Amino acid sequence: MMEALLEPKMLMTIALMGTIVYITYLTKRNATASDFFVGGRSFGWFTNGSAIGGDYLSAATFLGIAGLTFQLGYDGAYYAFCFSIGLTLLAIFVAGPLRRFGAFTVADFLGYRFHSRRARLVAVAVVLAISGFYAAPQLLGAAQILSMFFGTSYEFGIIFTCVVMIFYVGIGGMKGTTINQALELWIRLGAFIVMLIAAVYGGLHYDKILAAIHSFSGPITGTSPYALDGNDINFDGAAWTGTGFYFPTFWQTISMTIGLALGTIGLPHILLRFYTNPSAKAARKSALMAIGIASAFFLLAVYLGVVGRSIFISGTASEEVMRDLVLGGNNMVIPTTALALGGKWLLGLVIAGAFAAIFSNLSGLFITSSGALAHDLYANIMKKDITQKQRVIAGKVAIVLLGILYGALGLLVKDASIGHLVALAFTVAASTFTPIFILGIWWRGMTEKGAIAGLLIGLGVSMWMIFLPGTLPSFLQFKIPGIVTVPVGFLSVIIVSLIDRKVPADVNDFMKRVHSKESETV
Amino acid sequence: MAEVGSHDYDYVEAGTIDLKDLPPLDATTNKIMKDEFTTGLGLSIFYFILIFSIPVMNWFAPAFAFKKIWGGMTVTWFVTTIVMMAMAFIIAYVHTAMYEKRLKQYDIANK
Repeated sequence: MMEALLEPKMLMTIALMGTIVYITYLTKRNATASDFFVGGRSFGWFTNGSAIGGDYLSAATFLGIAGLTFQLGYDGAYYAFCFSIGLTLLAIFVAGPLRRFGAFTVADFLGYRFHSRRARLVAVAVVLAISGFYAAPQLLGAAQILSMFFGTSYEFGIIFTCVVMIFYVGIGGMKGTTINQALELWIRLGAFIVMLIAAVYGGLHYDKILAAIHSFSGPITGTSPYALDGNDINFDGAAWTGTGFYFPTFWQTISMTIGLALGTIGLPHILLRFYTNPSAKAARKSALMAIGIASAFFLLAVYLGVVGRSIFISGTASEEVMRDLVLGGNNMVIPTTALALGGKWLLGLVIAGAFAAIFSNLSGLFITSSGALAHDLYANIMKKDITQKQRVIAGKVAIVLLGILYGALGLLVKDASIGHLVALAFTVAASTFTPIFILGIWWRGMTEKGAIAGLLIGLGVSMWMIFLPGTLPSFLQFKIPGIVTVPVGFLSVIIVSLIDRKVPADVNDFMKRVHSKESETV
Repeated sequence: MAEVGSHDYDYVEAGTIDLKDLPPLDATTNKIMKDEFTTGLGLSIFYFILIFSIPVMNWFAPAFAFKKIWGGMTVTWFVTTIVMMAMAFIIAYVHTAMYEKRLKQYDIANK
């Protein structure tokens, strides 16, 4: 028992949990809805930039990108490139105006832009759909790590993670969540940097390992005991380093690029973070910092995926490493590569980093969705005259309900790829909230009916193309259907608005509010 | 000093107006929006040309895209996973720097 507790992976996970509990305890006072949902708008650009990075760089980045690169080669690395685009577009078009607008939730934007409860209600449904899509793979990552490195069942992993999140977000609110997210970002970035140093120190230079992989062709020694058919797994390095390995056509690649590049602007948990800055200037600086961190992170994640592949084909890795790389699937490439590079201590650090990534992202999703349920649905539509204290209690109840909902979703995605599931969440966001925010901030002609039509049609078409591709002609079947769903979302808003033509009477005041200069504060 | 947008809202029935009857924006807000949008759009177009040049290069000029430039590192691997990561930051940095420059110009003009 004592020996198991002294294992590095256990020590570091306990240290992370202890830190979370301590920060949550210190930040438990959430007297007002502003404290609970937007942390009292008190976070400067460094803390918030770290927290945005923490929110954005989820398990999909920490585990998924390296896993996709390991599995798909260049096409996997292309995912990282696409994920890296979105924050920049968000910083250009949305970050500053969104902060000047203020408010608490993403649905607030629609509610107040059009003075519409209907628009708010539809926005709540879309927030929950995107957050569900995003939360399920995070829980999958947590459960797989617990299962692989701590021997627990998949189901236990899901329940355990949900319970931790209910405590973490329910007590700490946005204040605890932001500080934890900022801290957790640096834990996982630290883990990646240590892995980078270990890999370079071990002679695994980028140019050399890519050359070795490219020239490899044939069975990988040492994989047969773990392969389903009992034979060594075959690998073609030239195909892996080329394109077309996963995205078989040019248009499939373009479709993914559009879906992922524009998805970030529509991610509710990222948008919400810009409400927590004290000013629009701080919001822009936060975005800039998050972009710098994210870019470094994606670069490292791709490199480490290549390192993992190089170790896998080298024929020199231990049996434990080969077993974990075959049986763990692409989601477990980072922990297994850490074990191969630096032994148990580096594995411990990486497991703590992986939990940090999962908790950080999940907490953002929990707080965003609880805002949608408690602030938008309960306090603004169902029961309007409630006190600040009642709104905070409603937020906490919503977090428990979300824990149950996300847990159920996590149980459904046991065998999925984290990176790909998150990519689908990006596509839904790009087809729903992205048109609403870009057009809502920059075009006075957008109407309530246009916004609702855009959200419903964007969501419906995305769901159809993701879940029922077999019902479509082959030229419309895309792995990531952004090339169809994003234009459909934009066009729905524009066409319905131009037909309707009934814009809010105070739209000029709204535009003045969101585009006013920082010096025009009151 | 409270920031614009820092207070809670109440639901207000504002009514609607036909788009053709909508009065124009005041000159200051109109100028800010126009400057901001022009800058953002210009940078975005430049960024998207770079972004889409990668799949175009991969699919229509594979001999160049997959030419090795440094060990096993190909042109496209280098551009996709290293250059474009830096580009994401550079574009955002240029946008922020231009925005702050404009902000100073507005302040000088107001004074």
